[in-house]
Amino acid sequence: MTDAEIIAVEVIGIEQVTPLIKHFTLAPLAGGSLPAFSGGSHIIVVMRGASRVHRNPYSLLSAPHELGSYEIGVRRMEESRGGSHFMHDAVRLGSRLEIAHPVNLFGLDKIARKHVLIAGGIGITPFLAHLEDLNYGTVPYELHYSVRSPEHAAFIERLRRRAGDRLRVYHDSEAQAIDVEALLMMQPLGTHVYVCGPAGMIKHVIATAKSAGWPDSHIHWEQFSAPPVGEAFDAFLARSNVTVHVPPDRSLLESIEAAGVEVPYLCRGGVCGFCRTRVVEVDGELIHNDHFLSDADRSQGRSIMPCVSRARCRSLVLDL
Amino acid sequence: MLVTGIKSKPVYAPLQADVGGRYHLMVGLGVGRDPLLRVIEDMRAAAPRALEHTQVLYVPDTLSAFASAGVAGVRTYDDAAALLGDFSALLHRSLMGTRLYVAGPESFIGLVMKIALEFNLNKDEIRAEECGTRARRVYCVHCRATTENVRTNIVRCIGCERWLLVRDHYSRRLAAYMGVMADAEVPGELPPLAEVFL
Repeated sequence: MTDAEIIAVEVIGIEQVTPLIKHFTLAPLAGGSLPAFSGGSHIIVVMRGASRVHRNPYSLLSAPHELGSYEIGVRRMEESRGGSHFMHDAVRLGSRLEIAHPVNLFGLDKIARKHVLIAGGIGITPFLAHLEDLNYGTVPYELHYSVRSPEHAAFIERLRRRAGDRLRVYHDSEAQAIDVEALLMMQPLGTHVYVCGPAGMIKHVIATAKSAGWPDSHIHWEQFSAPPVGEAFDAFLARSNVTVHVPPDRSLLESIEAAGVEVPYLCRGGVCGFCRTRVVEVDGELIHNDHFLSDADRSQGRSIMPCVSRARCRSLVLDL
Repeated sequence: MLVTGIKSKPVYAPLQADVGGRYHLMVGLGVGRDPLLRVIEDMRAAAPRALEHTQVLYVPDTLSAFASAGVAGVRTYDDAAALLGDFSALLHRSLMGTRLYVAGPESFIGLVMKIALEFNLNKDEIRAEECGTRARRVYCVHCRATTENVRTNIVRCIGCERWLLVRDHYSRRLAAYMGVMADAEVPGELPPLAEVFL
C-alpha cells in the first residue's frame, strides 16, 4: 500500500456510542460503491492534521455486502499520539478523509467446524463484520464480549440483532470475566478461536489455548500496536542517500515517509510484515515492537518493521 | 513416462511425540505398529502422564501388539474399513487439543487423512509415518472409479477398463493418485508394464 492507492471519503455519520468510542460512517466522495471486502478487514485512515499526517488502521464493522459506505469505531486512546484524538475532536460531519483499500489480516478459517470469537472493548469491531458473513453460513459460532460496564458495551444492540443468543456479554463492573480455560477445554475438534482486544487479553487467550493443547493453526488474533514513543534517533536511507530524523513521538515509518521515501505497508500496526526493511548496519540496539518477526529474525538483527519499531543507536543504515 | 516431482505427492516424516497435545490418538496398520510403539516409548520418557490420554486403534485384530504399551485404551480391528468407521465416530466426540499419529502403508495413511481433513485437522495436529507397501489407490479421471492396490505404472481401471497411467498427482480429498488414459493418443500403444510401487 502506498498513498497512490487512497480513496477520498466524506464523513456522513458520527455517533458517540460509549463514553470512549465514536462510530463513523464514511462514504466515497466520488459516489458509487467502495471496494468489496471480507469480514475482519481493516482500512488505513489518513488524517491530515495541521502539523502532521496520521495514518491509523481501523477494522471495518459494517456489513461486507453494503458497499455504499464503510463504518469504523474509534476509541479515544489515553496515550494517543494524535490519531484517535484527531478523529474524536477534529472530524465533523462533512469532513473529508482519505482511506486505503481494505486489507484482511484477520479472516475466518474457511473450513472450520466451529468459531469461538472473543472480544474485549473496541476489539469487537472486526467481529461485527464477521457476524454478517457467519449468519449466511451454517457453521456454529459463539461470541464472548468483555467490556468495562454496560455503558461501555459498544454496538450492543447491533450485536444482539446479529448474534442473538450466541452472544455473551461480560461486565468488569460486575466482576464478570470470560472463563477462557473452561471455554477452550471443551471445544469440538476443528474449532478455531479468534481474539481481538487489549494486549493482556490476547496474551491470556493464546497462552490458555496452547496449554489446552490447541495448535497454532487454530488460534487467530489481531492487535494493531500504536507506534510507541521512544528516544529520538537518526536513520540513513542508503539507496535514497538521505538521513531522516525520528523524533520521540513519530514512528520510523512516518519519518521515512515525511522525507518523501515510500515504504509498502498494509497495517501500520506491526502485524502484516509488509514494511519489513533490511537493516544494513546498526551501531546500537533495535527496539522491536512488532508482532511479525520471529525471535530468530530479531536475534539476527538484519530486519526491522519501521511502522512500530525503533532504535536506540548512534547510527542506523537502512536498505531503502 | 511416469511423471514425477509433482508437489501434491505427500511426503511423510518419522513420527515424533508432541506432548503439547492434551489427547493423543494413534492409528496404525500392520508394520505401522513399530513407529507407534516407538512414539509411545518417547512419550513415556518425555511426559508419562500423556499416556493416560492416549488411545490406539490398530489393524489387525491382535491385542498383544500393544499389550504392554501402557496406554489408556487399545482397540483392534479385522480390517481398515472397520477401523476407519470407528475412527470417524471417535473424531466426532474428540476435543480440540487432540493430536493424531498415523503409521502404516501410504494408502492407509491417505484414508485416515481424508477423514481427518473432514474434521479440519491441520498439519500441526497430525503426524504420519509411512511404512509397508507403496501400492496406490488410483482414481480414474474418466469414470471416477477408484482402483485399489495398484503396484504397476499402468493399470486397467476397475470401472471403465481403460488402461490408466498412474501419476504422482495426489488428491487428499479423494485419498488417491490420479490415473489418466495411457493410450489416448495412439490407441493400443502402451508403455511396458512394470511393478514400480512396491
